[in-house]
Amino acid sequence: MSDITVFAADKFITMDPNMPEATHVAVRDGRVLAIGDAQCADAWGPVQHDDRLKGATVLPGLIEGHAHMMAGAIWRYAYVGYHDRIDPEGKLWPGLPDADAVVTGLKDYAKGLESDAPIVGWGFDPIFLTSERLSRDHLDQISPDRPIAIIFSNFHLMCVNSRALEMAGYDAGTNVEGVIMGQNGRPTGELQEMAAMFPIMRRLGIDFRGLSQTPEAIRAYAKVAQRAGVTTITDLFSSMEDEDVDVMLEVTSGDFPLRIVPVLGAMGDPATIADKAERLAKRSTDKLRMGAVKLMTDGSIQGWTARVRWPGYIGGQPNGMWNTAPEAIYALCAEMQARGIQMHIHVNGDEAAEVSLDAIEAALSAHPGQGHRHVLQHCQMMDRDLYERAAELGCCTNIFSNHIWYFGDQHVALTLGEDRAHRMDAARSALDAGVPIALHSDAPVTPLGPLFTAWCAVNRRTMSGRVLGAVQCLTVPEALYAITMGAAFTLKLDSEIGSISVGKRADFAVLGDDPTGVDPMALKDISVLGTVSGGTVHLL
Amino acid sequence: MSLPLTVIGGYLGAGKTTLINRLLAEDHGLQLLIMVNDFGAINVDASLIEAAGDDMIALSNGCVCCTMGADLFLAIGDVLDRDLRPDHLVIEASGIADPAAIARVAIAEPDLVYGGVVTVVDALEYDRLSNDPQIGAQVRGQVDVADVVVVSKTDGGAWPEALGVAAVPLAEIDVVGPLVCGMTPAQVPEGLATHPSYVRWHGTMRGAVERSDLIARLEARPVGLFRMKGFVSAPQGRVWEVHCVGRQVTVKEGSGPLGLVGIGLSGRVKRSQLDNWWRGFDL
Ligand SMILES: [Zn+2]
Repeated sequence: MSDITVFAADKFITMDPNMPEATHVAVRDGRVLAIGDAQCADAWGPVQHDDRLKGATVLPGLIEGHAHMMAGAIWRYAYVGYHDRIDPEGKLWPGLPDADAVVTGLKDYAKGLESDAPIVGWGFDPIFLTSERLSRDHLDQISPDRPIAIIFSNFHLMCVNSRALEMAGYDAGTNVEGVIMGQNGRPTGELQEMAAMFPIMRRLGIDFRGLSQTPEAIRAYAKVAQRAGVTTITDLFSSMEDEDVDVMLEVTSGDFPLRIVPVLGAMGDPATIADKAERLAKRSTDKLRMGAVKLMTDGSIQGWTARVRWPGYIGGQPNGMWNTAPEAIYALCAEMQARGIQMHIHVNGDEAAEVSLDAIEAALSAHPGQGHRHVLQHCQMMDRDLYERAAELGCCTNIFSNHIWYFGDQHVALTLGEDRAHRMDAARSALDAGVPIALHSDAPVTPLGPLFTAWCAVNRRTMSGRVLGAVQCLTVPEALYAITMGAAFTLKLDSEIGSISVGKRADFAVLGDDPTGVDPMALKDISVLGTVSGGTVHLL
Repeated sequence: MSLPLTVIGGYLGAGKTTLINRLLAEDHGLQLLIMVNDFGAINVDASLIEAAGDDMIALSNGCVCCTMGADLFLAIGDVLDRDLRPDHLVIEASGIADPAAIARVAIAEPDLVYGGVVTVVDALEYDRLSNDPQIGAQVRGQVDVADVVVVSKTDGGAWPEALGVAAVPLAEIDVVGPLVCGMTPAQVPEGLATHPSYVRWHGTMRGAVERSDLIARLEARPVGLFRMKGFVSAPQGRVWEVHCVGRQVTVKEGSGPLGLVGIGLSGRVKRSQLDNWWRGFDL
């Protein structure tokens, strides 16, 4: 049997300007051998034809440059968010628009559980609710006997029922900051921040560690990715102990349909982190790429914890909080730059972006070197001047375009105001400045789906339907480039993936329609039929 | 038995590790588990080290020092799930962290008890840092939430003018164990007598007392008595277990020998103040 497979499709959109479109792609040893028509690989010897992609439009495998592995395993809990969402098995979870809908939805869900099993929900976001706040009284309607905890979408808050409060020992006599008390002097059920949530998580067995690194979590992540046409994905703040790496290597071997780029969380002593990153890099395989690090700097804009420049938040909230002190950001940048380790730096507010660029500039003058491709992540408030500096310093930016749709209206009304909201996630400014860009979902914060993310960057619609900052819209080809080649570039994988080019991995996204042919407003509605990873077909 | 948790806060370079190194080396008789951000500056006499790994050092005095890994709260959960818990858990907060956000878990979690926030301040740097436009608010916040503030690098008479709260120079405290971890009642009578840094106090009560009355009285205690613990009679033959650190007062049902012990720092509190306060309380 021939070792060359020629795939036929309605159209391959290659993202390679030398051969932008084709009807056939030949694959050998998991890599692209030839591109063209049905005869494109004949010069290489006998071929076998594969028609499984026939009728589909095929893109390079989509690449998600900023997501978290828990996006897969979080589905072990019941989804109770405002928007419709699809789980790894393809089941649609309809959005729940208010507290009563959450009650009804979970009553149904509870029918499938043992009578005393806890119910844990996730994805709830009060920012979208106009009705009263979710409370224990709502959750007690679901069940007074079994403990119930609803984790909010930001993972900083939860709401629990009376049974769970009782298990944690929370009552009228409790005086703990973060255990919210009602007018009647009893806890309302809402718990804020880890300290207050800890007794519940411990007693209900809610374990965020189990949502990453376990074999089930890794496989669930692959399923979520496959449904989104994604063949390479990051896990952008990984702890990765040696045992974790063993598990990941084991699970991702063979025909695993996903390349994972776990990025080591950098909190603590720079040299120790750099040593660990170097050790991890040595254990990399094709499907598991390690060696980069992730820095946290500030918080989130909608939580008013991002560090923003003058004039700050429109509600007069105090400036946000550093998760890493600027001085420590400088020290980390210096060490990583000196050691040749790529950094992904979380920057939501513009002050955080500015400090990070200052730190990179200082690191570059102390340790000159090219090709570092440090990536600013989120970049939600960066404006023209910061993008120009990013370009000067050889940095990339990975822009959180999904925010425009999910939180754009809230940013206008509650955090930054109309003017600055227009330049949020300013992908056009980035391209104008010559900065390489990717676009991301930060799944599970928003759903994984690069086509949806591209739709956000192209149309800049908010949930209310308005266009937020039309001048920052991308064209469809620019957005498609950003979710393939752009993201590959930010991961330093652009020589291997990101386009359908001879020599690259045969990673494809198999789509039901042509994203360059549909109305740009329909980009998000294009169906994903599956993926091809290293030449192996994984249709849904 | 609940596990006491103390959090050591303070900005980068403030001297948290100096305090931890002293705690590890002292002969306090407690099996401490100390979680630090990294081992870089941990420095204990090699002769005290019984075992050492990548992320753990065990000392011959029973103390263990370890790095906390990626998720602090998971690490706390792991300690609570052990068969053999330490006598006291001490966590070094990272330089920019709000130590109270960590310490609060000890108030929330029934298996933990609040051991306080000790914030370390650098005498030479605090004035500058606390006024820094980027980090000033967070640095001042670490002092605001502290039950005890200790000041490092005071040699030469340096003192942070901007501090604005009572604080003690670290160099003047002869043993730091009582400050950070308190004492078990059994240790107090002799243990502290020899240490001039501390005033110790001991009280007993004859009658039973309602919880709310007890809390009101404990909250009215002289502020210099920053740690107090023990057991008090409750109505119907029950017993209240009392833990006080700084402003935090915890009273819950428990069992143990009746009596309260407390310590304060010399110069911050006088025996006569304590006795006056307690006389009004003795039913
Ligand atoms: Zn993220």
